[in-house]
Amino acid sequence: MTRIALEVNGAPVEAEIEPNTLLVQLLREKLDLTGTHVGCDTSQCGACVVHVDGQSVKSCSVLAVELEGAKVTTIEGLAESGELHPMQQAFHEEHGLQCGYCTPGVVMSTVDLLKRNDSPSEHEVRAWLEGNICRCTGYHNIVKAVLSCADKMKAGGAAAAE
Amino acid sequence: MSNTGIGKRVKRKEDRRFLTGKGRYTDDINLPKQAYAHFIRSPHAHARIGGVDAKEALALPGVLGVYTGADWVADQLGGLPCGWLVKSKDGSDQVEPPHLPLAPEVARHVGDPVAVVIATSRELAREAASLVEVDYDEQPASGTLAKAIQSDAPQVWSEAAGNTSFDWEVGDEAAQQAAFAEADRIVEIDVTNNRVIPNAMEPRAAVASYDPNAESYTLYTTSQNPHLIRLLLSAFVMQIPEHKLRVIAPDVGGGFGSKIYPYSEEVVCTWTSKKVGVPVKWTADRSEAFMSDAHGRGHITKAQMAVKNDGTMLALRVETYADLGAYLSTFATATPTYLYAPLLCGIYKMKAVYANVKGIFTHTVPVDAYRGAGRPEATYLVERMVDKVASELGIDRIELRRKNMIQKDEFPYQTPLIFQFDTGDFEACLDTALEAIDFAGFEGRRAEAAGRGMLRGIGVSTYVEACGLAPSAAAGALGARAGLYESATIRVHPTGSVTVFTGTHSHGQGHETAFAQIVAEKLGMEVDNIVIEHGDTEKIPFGMGSYGSRSLSVGGSAISKATDKVIEKGRKIAAHLLEASADDIEFEGGEYKVKGTDKVLPFGAVAFTAYVPHNYPHEATAPFS
Repeated sequence: MTRIALEVNGAPVEAEIEPNTLLVQLLREKLDLTGTHVGCDTSQCGACVVHVDGQSVKSCSVLAVELEGAKVTTIEGLAESGELHPMQQAFHEEHGLQCGYCTPGVVMSTVDLLKRNDSPSEHEVRAWLEGNICRCTGYHNIVKAVLSCADKMKAGGAAAAE
Repeated sequence: MSNTGIGKRVKRKEDRRFLTGKGRYTDDINLPKQAYAHFIRSPHAHARIGGVDAKEALALPGVLGVYTGADWVADQLGGLPCGWLVKSKDGSDQVEPPHLPLAPEVARHVGDPVAVVIATSRELAREAASLVEVDYDEQPASGTLAKAIQSDAPQVWSEAAGNTSFDWEVGDEAAQQAAFAEADRIVEIDVTNNRVIPNAMEPRAAVASYDPNAESYTLYTTSQNPHLIRLLLSAFVMQIPEHKLRVIAPDVGGGFGSKIYPYSEEVVCTWTSKKVGVPVKWTADRSEAFMSDAHGRGHITKAQMAVKNDGTMLALRVETYADLGAYLSTFATATPTYLYAPLLCGIYKMKAVYANVKGIFTHTVPVDAYRGAGRPEATYLVERMVDKVASELGIDRIELRRKNMIQKDEFPYQTPLIFQFDTGDFEACLDTALEAIDFAGFEGRRAEAAGRGMLRGIGVSTYVEACGLAPSAAAGALGARAGLYESATIRVHPTGSVTVFTGTHSHGQGHETAFAQIVAEKLGMEVDNIVIEHGDTEKIPFGMGSYGSRSLSVGGSAISKATDKVIEKGRKIAAHLLEASADDIEFEGGEYKVKGTDKVLPFGAVAFTAYVPHNYPHEATAPFS
């Protein structure tokens, strides 16, 4: 067992973990943050995407012991004071989800996209989503939601706050 | 008036929990002291099981048990049943071999569960499973449909000669042959409709617990139809009294058909939860899903169409081999027969259609209903055939379709295969589609694409579907073993807000919003005042879940009718309070009104009176639902 200390959704967290514990296991099984999902065992589906120090990562592919001192944000930490993040709001407005299983990963991934590129083209959004699989929507409304969010965030002059 | 009723653009009520990570899927559920199941699966397509040695695994601290098919047999429990009886053309029943949750003597597909390890952690269960020695004696296998139908193919079941479960037919073969004799040309086509793996995003999972005081079980499972799971587990598999088994399908991350059926893993979790005395949880990983979720499609078909040189379609003959996999899953035999062949007429007028379907066992994962289930297979075949006819006769493919489709003045139209189409205007649909896609402008787009070095094509297909499986004498006569009913309860609370209990299940369809819109429209209220409950056999009287496009047509109709009953009950209360005859009370925009007067009573006031009946017509019944 190893002891690590990190920050999750703005709060300090300490945990005793096995050296082979994955970040997603730490989140789901130790911290009860079950919004981060596991959809595959091959790092392909992207349902488990979270942010580590502001960057999107697949939490199934990161060992928790690597995260000493890191700042982790999960889907549960994205809304602030009960207000949905603009990306969450855009998914709601544009019907960008159905069963909701892939949704947390897609939202966390695309929030990172807009931090890197505040006005992506449709093609850039689709290319970015290569690492996220959705089985329900056919991606069409997901792409619409991301583009709509980008427009609104620019119009609002707000930085891609997280 | 409702601003959020039927047809209004309403944002989904379920979105917020999914967008904030607060959805509650089966793998998110953890019960105190739960243990974890890990299944040991056959790595062979076909093998005799000589024995299972679990001594080393059982010696590990934290391993609570290792169970095999022999333990299941010793407990004298049943197998996973097939939900539809198909009879062969000679009148005999489908061959329906036992499907035990753990294979006791012979493993019949890669992934067939042979044993299960229960341990205090997921990792320990997996580690212990690697210590279990299974003595496999590998046998020759029929790993594909093409191989299984060969005369010397390895046999999946000794009782199914030629690997055949059934040899079924529909249609008038003599009429088909007579029409073929009139033909100018017989057009032939061979089609393989390949096997697919459904792959919902959420892997299947189950958490089962046993309460020794109440002698009852609770099973959380990734299901499209928790009542069906309860019924089949109680009546056939485990012989648990139905009222002693609660099945909950919470948020479910997509199904696509694959989560209709009862599976070995949820049965074994339920069974072992009593044996080990703590709840048992299992979650599939994706690789495991490929080997254990029911697959879809899997047809090999030879078809012939008799036509006149002017393009008139006379008759169709279809011979299909359908891959059933190694065991009969719940709707395995209905899917390639009744859900497939009656749609082989498409939307076309033909004198006769004859179809012969042979259901074939293979040493593969069971095949069952998947997205459309049989009907897309039929449509694909018919429409490929129509294109081939157009090509061979040199007739435009759209004109050929127009010429042969049932015309709008020919309804009701009795097809040669079971169904009568009551109404339709297929040509209007075709014209609308051609206009929407600017078919006339296609050649210009093709030329433009060619200029960029790209190839552009366009396909044409018609589609007609039989859906909304509901109770009917026909379904019973054709072999359905399930009732297919749907239930709805509308519970009106004292302040007039409403909870709706539906036996359908939402796993992405958005019932919590759409069904609320039905009730909102009828009661003249907003969807925010309505909650939809589903997915729990303890809360919902009964239901058959969601598949085959039945939720709105069957479940939505039940909700609509139940709401009408509530309105009628309220009418009696309103009449009493407004001192008028019930016949003179109309309900509109959420208010009861005495016709021709300005005397009104809002729905909420009537609901409150039902619960606070100081002044009440006692012939109307409380509670208000």
